Amino acid sequence: MGLLTGKRVFSIMALCMMVGLLLLPIVVALPSPAIGEEAPAGDAVKKDGDKVEKGRDVYYKTEGIVVGAPAPKTTDGPKDYPRYNFESRVLLWFANQQHLYYGSFVLAVPIFCMIIEFMGVVTKDKALAKRYDQLAYDFIKISLTAYSLTAILGGILIFTFLTLYPAFFGYLSSIFRPVMHIYALMFVAESGTLYIYYYGWDKMKEGFLKWIHLSMSVILNIIGTLLMFLANSWIGFMMSPAGVDEQGRYLGNIWHVIHTALWNPLNLHRILGNMAFGGGVVAAYAAYKFLAAKTDEDRAHYDWMGYIAMALGVSFLIPLPFAGYWLMREVYAYRQQMGITLMGGLLAWLFIIQATMIGILFLSTNYYLWQAMGRMRGAEKYQRYIKYLVFLLVCGFLVFITPHTMVMSPAELKAMGGQQHPVLGNFGVMSAKNGGINVIITTTVLSFVWYMRGNKVSTVSWAKFGNIFMGVFFACAYVNIIWLAIYGYYIPANVRVGLSVPQVATTLSCLFFMFALNSVMMRGAKQMGPIEWGKISVRSQYALIMLATAFTWMMALMGYIRSSVRLFWHVNEIMRDNSPWAYTHTVGFAANMISFNVLFFWISILFVFWMGSLAAKKVPVEAKAGIPGNVPQPAASH
Amino acid sequence: MKALMSLGALIGVAGLVLLGGMIFDVIPSTTVRLVEGYMPMQMLFEFACFVAGFAGLSYMMSAVGMPFPRFWQGIGFWAFVLLYLKYRVYPPIPFSVRAMYGTVTLVAVFMWISANEEDWKKFKQPIMNVLDAQTGMNKLLRYAYLVLLPILIGGFSYNAMKPKSEEPIELRTVHPAPPASTKVHGKTYTLQTSQNPYRVNPEGKYDQEFSNANIVEQGMGRLMKPNANPWDDKNTGYLKYVREGGEIFFQNCHFCHGDNLNGRGLHAFAFNPIPANFTDPGTIAQLQETFIFWRVSKGGIGLPNEGFPWASVMPPWEQHLTVDEIWKVILFEYWHTGYYPRTWD
Repeated sequence: MGLLTGKRVFSIMALCMMVGLLLLPIVVALPSPAIGEEAPAGDAVKKDGDKVEKGRDVYYKTEGIVVGAPAPKTTDGPKDYPRYNFESRVLLWFANQQHLYYGSFVLAVPIFCMIIEFMGVVTKDKALAKRYDQLAYDFIKISLTAYSLTAILGGILIFTFLTLYPAFFGYLSSIFRPVMHIYALMFVAESGTLYIYYYGWDKMKEGFLKWIHLSMSVILNIIGTLLMFLANSWIGFMMSPAGVDEQGRYLGNIWHVIHTALWNPLNLHRILGNMAFGGGVVAAYAAYKFLAAKTDEDRAHYDWMGYIAMALGVSFLIPLPFAGYWLMREVYAYRQQMGITLMGGLLAWLFIIQATMIGILFLSTNYYLWQAMGRMRGAEKYQRYIKYLVFLLVCGFLVFITPHTMVMSPAELKAMGGQQHPVLGNFGVMSAKNGGINVIITTTVLSFVWYMRGNKVSTVSWAKFGNIFMGVFFACAYVNIIWLAIYGYYIPANVRVGLSVPQVATTLSCLFFMFALNSVMMRGAKQMGPIEWGKISVRSQYALIMLATAFTWMMALMGYIRSSVRLFWHVNEIMRDNSPWAYTHTVGFAANMISFNVLFFWISILFVFWMGSLAAKKVPVEAKAGIPGNVPQPAASH
Repeated sequence: MKALMSLGALIGVAGLVLLGGMIFDVIPSTTVRLVEGYMPMQMLFEFACFVAGFAGLSYMMSAVGMPFPRFWQGIGFWAFVLLYLKYRVYPPIPFSVRAMYGTVTLVAVFMWISANEEDWKKFKQPIMNVLDAQTGMNKLLRYAYLVLLPILIGGFSYNAMKPKSEEPIELRTVHPAPPASTKVHGKTYTLQTSQNPYRVNPEGKYDQEFSNANIVEQGMGRLMKPNANPWDDKNTGYLKYVREGGEIFFQNCHFCHGDNLNGRGLHAFAFNPIPANFTDPGTIAQLQETFIFWRVSKGGIGLPNEGFPWASVMPPWEQHLTVDEIWKVILFEYWHTGYYPRTWD
């Protein structure tokens, strides 16, 4: 009892320490805005006597006292752009991308851990609860090695900035000075909480202590998310600056600098993106382990792990296009030219590639689910309908990837009789594309519903009515989405943009209502047979690897698009890029660079996985065999 | 169910006969016309009919004890899509797009034939048979593939490496991003905020809803309001400005952009690409009026770097028209096509 009390005290102290760490940066930062305002103001007084210079915020249009220096007007030379015998921008691109990959991974995995640990805590089936707990632990173990690499890559990134872009980095640092140390302290807090969370796992595995441990994961994720928000404020500022005047002089309000026009859409998009990416990477890890497994037990475990990671990743992938849509809408609202450069101009072809990648993600997901139905007895009844799902998916996909401006030779252009194809050109505009992606997502939801009821037969008295209702609901959803896509051609553009709301609402209705109804219908359902974990086809595992690779490629692509939309500006309309590399790369070069980044990430993450497996080898055999059930049972796993 | 499948089979056979006729030029590809205005949906609908038709055909053949092997179903369907895109859809689809569609369809066929283990085995069986070469025929086939495949790949490589005299492919940006502002006749216009001064209601205030209600019905060519005829001299305000814009259009623009505003004017086919087709939903319907104002004023010569290879011979109309005339002609273009200028509210 005494020991238990001691443990309780210890765990509460640890939790308090974490909260303390969370609050530390805020407490330390309290005086900094004041310092940030007063110190340069003093300079202003020195310069202009008693006169206080005022400036107008470029975005908020408010007046503020000028407390910063103007953005430097750089010139090409060793002072502003020192360099090696290589394109500095490409080096920075590489360092940035790798840091982002690992940063995303280590931010996403703790969120998974939190969800999976919570599932373990609330699951009544003790064997399953233990497996969830073990899975969460496995995840955090991988994350820990990746965490060190993230920090190393962060250091490399800062050194690259300081070495190759000193004037630009100096300017950004001067603007963000009031929060620079908060950012650094957040890292300390993140590391501290992560270590306490990881090393406290075994000591806090039951009862009240487990709940304390779970609370720690919540705090860990709050810190991680705040950290990401701060990092996002830098890129938000570079794209859509605020809190400075036309010359780029800081006006003393750090909140304006952080809370730029694109900050919130970026935050949401990145949270969802990180989660989908994290799920993809863990699923690929599980797929790799599945393919390399030598025993049925291992295959069963990694099959299950891959499924859980894929399901978590995809659950965040589904709302991702909508978050992206919001981001683009805000981009257009901020600067029309920026929007046109992205969607209709210079970078439009990259968006076609992005659409292709999104399509691959959804196609891989659906394919995995159909393969997964192969390990369920009773799911055969759905197999013959899969060809119709393929048809729907492909129609949506083809519309989604059809370019507005087609790549063609002048001879083809002449034969076509104009820049736009009279049939396919119609698929190239937003109205059709909204329809296309919503058809794809709705079909994915339908595949999920089939998977969830694959080996079950509903026993509720209203099962027949429920099935008919679900069928009609999905049919109406398709009709509504397609009808709105066509109707979009006949109404003003501002109304058409608004049409995406009912389309998205239709898709989300399918997601929530159909999942809920299906769950109710399948409560106490008759099982046709167990899910035979480990009996899935190897093709499904390649689909998971494809899913993860597509995530990684798309992430790099979108990062490149977001960054290059600033064209020849370091900070949009404030600080011009006067280096020799202020031009936009060709699509081919960008694609090669993205592929190189993806390849490097996967090679390095394989190293991380290998390190993780070295640690796993030290675990005594009994501990592994101690997991009851060996082959996981389906129970409430989906 | 059986009746439904029989109907499907009938559609499938009829469709295949039609497509075969089009490929061998026995039946003109315009026999079943793609109706302007409905073409994109018509194509998808036709495609859906074919899928239903093939499903019915497959069902019927199985029912009469002559199942069509899954291997040939997969290969056949993919070939069908490639032929459909090449011979059915007109005007011809550029190769790059057909390649994209063909790849996606190939992936789709793979997803379909490997969706479950049984189908996948059925699909693989003929390939495995040839590789195992247990019969004389399969042995022969294996040797044939051994010789043919390298020749085929060599042929492709040769074709790819052979220097060509064709003009290179262009990745043209049709709508380059506009500048933040543009200077026309000494006055600076901010593109984000400027408005067409002639898009006004009877009170003389800027009113897009009013003008939207008085245009030609899109794709139909009839007036939204019968009495809102700009060619009626009695009409004033917005409709009068449309009329004036129309006069300017027919004096200056229709030679290239055509009297239907579809880019097929008298001189259009002297250019490649032909002038912009305003009736296409991808041109003025996608853009703010100020974007059109900038493009008309500055012409092809004023395109930014992003607009490379600057394949536009439109003159900078600011040298020939007044600012008011440019605004009026834009007003007419939207009126005539039935499109609404893009807004961001």
